[in-house]
Amino acid sequence: MAQLHVPKNPTQPSSSVSHSLHSQKPKKQALTTAMVSQYGIKYAVHIITNHFGPLVAKVCDCLLKKGPLPLREIVRYTELSETLVRNCLLVLIQHNCLQPFLLEEEGGFGEVNKVSSLYMVLFDNVLHRVRFSKFMAIVSQEFNKLCVDLIETLLQHGRLSSEQIFDGFRDSTEGSSSGGMEALQENIHKLVMARYVERCPISEPFLALPSEEEAAPARRRGAKSAKVFLEPETLEQRVLAAAVPPEGMRFSFELNPEIGADREKAENSSTGDKRKHDALESGTDGGFVDKQVVLWRVNCEEFTRRLRHKICIEIVRTRLDDEAATVFTAMLNASRSEEKKIKTASSVPLSENSIYAEVIKSEKGRNMTLDYVISVLVGLSSSPPFVRVIDNSYSIDYKHIIEVAQTDEVESIVYKKYGKDAYRMFRLLSKTGRFLETDKISDSIFVEKKETANMLSKMWQGDYLQMEKLVAGPTQFLLWKVNMINLRERVLDDMFHASLNLSLRVAYELEQQKEILHLGVDGPMKEKYEKLKKVRFLLESSRMKLDDAIMIFHDF
Amino acid sequence: MSRLQGPSSLKRKRPELNSPAQSLTEHERILYDVIRSKQDIGIWTRDMKKEAKLPDNVVNKSLKALQVKNLIKEVVNIQNKGRKHFMATEFEPSKEISGGAWYLEGSLDTEFIESLRQLCKRQIEKKVVATLEEVTDLINSYPAFNVDVTKQQIEEILRTLIWDNAIMEVKSNGMGEFASIPFGKVCYRYVSKGGLGGEPRAGALATIPCGVCPRISHCTPDGVISPKTCVYYQKWLDF
Repeated sequence: MAQLHVPKNPTQPSSSVSHSLHSQKPKKQALTTAMVSQYGIKYAVHIITNHFGPLVAKVCDCLLKKGPLPLREIVRYTELSETLVRNCLLVLIQHNCLQPFLLEEEGGFGEVNKVSSLYMVLFDNVLHRVRFSKFMAIVSQEFNKLCVDLIETLLQHGRLSSEQIFDGFRDSTEGSSSGGMEALQENIHKLVMARYVERCPISEPFLALPSEEEAAPARRRGAKSAKVFLEPETLEQRVLAAAVPPEGMRFSFELNPEIGADREKAENSSTGDKRKHDALESGTDGGFVDKQVVLWRVNCEEFTRRLRHKICIEIVRTRLDDEAATVFTAMLNASRSEEKKIKTASSVPLSENSIYAEVIKSEKGRNMTLDYVISVLVGLSSSPPFVRVIDNSYSIDYKHIIEVAQTDEVESIVYKKYGKDAYRMFRLLSKTGRFLETDKISDSIFVEKKETANMLSKMWQGDYLQMEKLVAGPTQFLLWKVNMINLRERVLDDMFHASLNLSLRVAYELEQQKEILHLGVDGPMKEKYEKLKKVRFLLESSRMKLDDAIMIFHDF
Repeated sequence: MSRLQGPSSLKRKRPELNSPAQSLTEHERILYDVIRSKQDIGIWTRDMKKEAKLPDNVVNKSLKALQVKNLIKEVVNIQNKGRKHFMATEFEPSKEISGGAWYLEGSLDTEFIESLRQLCKRQIEKKVVATLEEVTDLINSYPAFNVDVTKQQIEEILRTLIWDNAIMEVKSNGMGEFASIPFGKVCYRYVSKGGLGGEPRAGALATIPCGVCPRISHCTPDGVISPKTCVYYQKWLDF
């Protein structure tokens, strides 16, 4: 588990990355999963407990701590009955928090290869569960009420077949006529085209052993130079890549004019229990989807990308101004369709004219001249450069924008926690990026040496700085450095802890509110009730803001 | 202590040398020669005694006499403030002894530094973007600031403003606000938000008690310190 605190003893090498790099058995499947920090796990388990109760949470906790496991191992670790574990897994699959997969591994001497059926919790999707309101807000800005309702239904149920969606709406809306069904289909089609809704992934993708060719480059690299470091693809990334339906299939929704006529199939699958059975084969492996039924779900990836864009626009607005944000938004819109993954480092290059064409589409950009837009682009590309200029083309530097946001967040904590002088010291060390001696720091920031040493020591004790001792004869020098990579992960863990705390406090306040409601909200209780409402609002809004910050550190 | 109204350390006048050196006793002469030979480094009394090979009481008496005759002065050694350190009056303490231009009588001249910082910041704020040379000229021509500062000193001051996030170092692209600055020249741009005197914009974690909690490592859902019992939460939510 990633305990990312800076080592106190600088002579001790920091725990390093992956054993799989130097694996002696190249054909062995490396079970390198994305590392989740201590409070990341606690927070995810808390979310699952709130949404699905303690049993599902126990299974989730086990899988987050131990990594992907087969059913029998989950039963062994959780000490729950097999049926119970199976049901918990079904709930997690239904809500897109779990991905089953088949893993091929080498057999023993002369034996055939083994294939194991494993279950992996999707940590990111668990976190997305607190962002549903943000997803719906995005849809409501772009689409009609029906689309918002459709997204809400899918978020509530996790995954549904078209028939199940139609059935739900047939019962609850007046649109029982075929016209209503057509409108419903068209709206689903619109959401699929906008990539907000997608076909569910393959129920149990198969991860074959790497072929000789795939394994060979790694061996050659290892033999030639140990210095070449290629970040290994995590098991989670491999499983998810294998589970994604082919691009043409993922976002294809065929309008069916006969829908609504044939209700027989829909009736058979309308209950909640049946939904789970549609999502899962009722056989023993607990993972296969009935291939005849196409299941749909909300595409969290697209929403995450949109939230990333939204946050980038706000960073530009805060650092620069509204005009810069307008031009930046136009650049996002012009390049959005080319983005293939969430953590895109930079956008495709755009010409001045294509940016201008997009700018004037917006109300705010309509009164801007081309020259003005170019001058704003110059501002965007000067320090700190949010936009890079290459051969008269402009490309958004997402990576840098996100790094600026992360640094701002960390620095603001240092300021609040340790004060102005510490903030100055921290920024000096962070911008210098290497070890500096106490006296050098003191001279650079105009703080007395003794005070400087005390403050640096405090920050080091709080794990905000790295320290090394240098002994030269009788004199000992202390060297200090900011390790931003470690620090970001540590701050993220603190964020998970803080978010968990906010959620726990909300629950506590809700309990108090219930008691008051029980007593009646008249007289003196009314004031207390109103206060509790305000408290809850502050806690909830702080949690949502903190979740934006978690996304900046984790998802973007 | 302030150098703001008076002459700067760089403009300090050397004491006039005249006759007192002629009327020294033998012991005073020996001691004076030892001290004077150390020039702007000066000497610690214990080292002085060893070198002059004179008894303690003689040294102490002679030191007093030399001070009265204004031939030597006591200076603060920044490396070791507790030690008595002497220097011939004709010398100004070297950077190693005085701590440099930013120190006055062994202490960091915070008042002077802060005034200079504020002044530099105001000049850049007015111009939005300025080069080091421009800021130095502006400061030296500032009527109320009766001190000559070097380009290097201003550069040191500007660095601290960068660490404060009050200004940022940028390279001119020759366009817009950089039009008057040659392309590629390093200059300093005012950061309109946050910075000197003002706090940086508080991030999401810094605005809630847990973000700056000194007891966070002891906080657990059902522990003695928990979100339910937290005193910082209590204070935060008390409105």
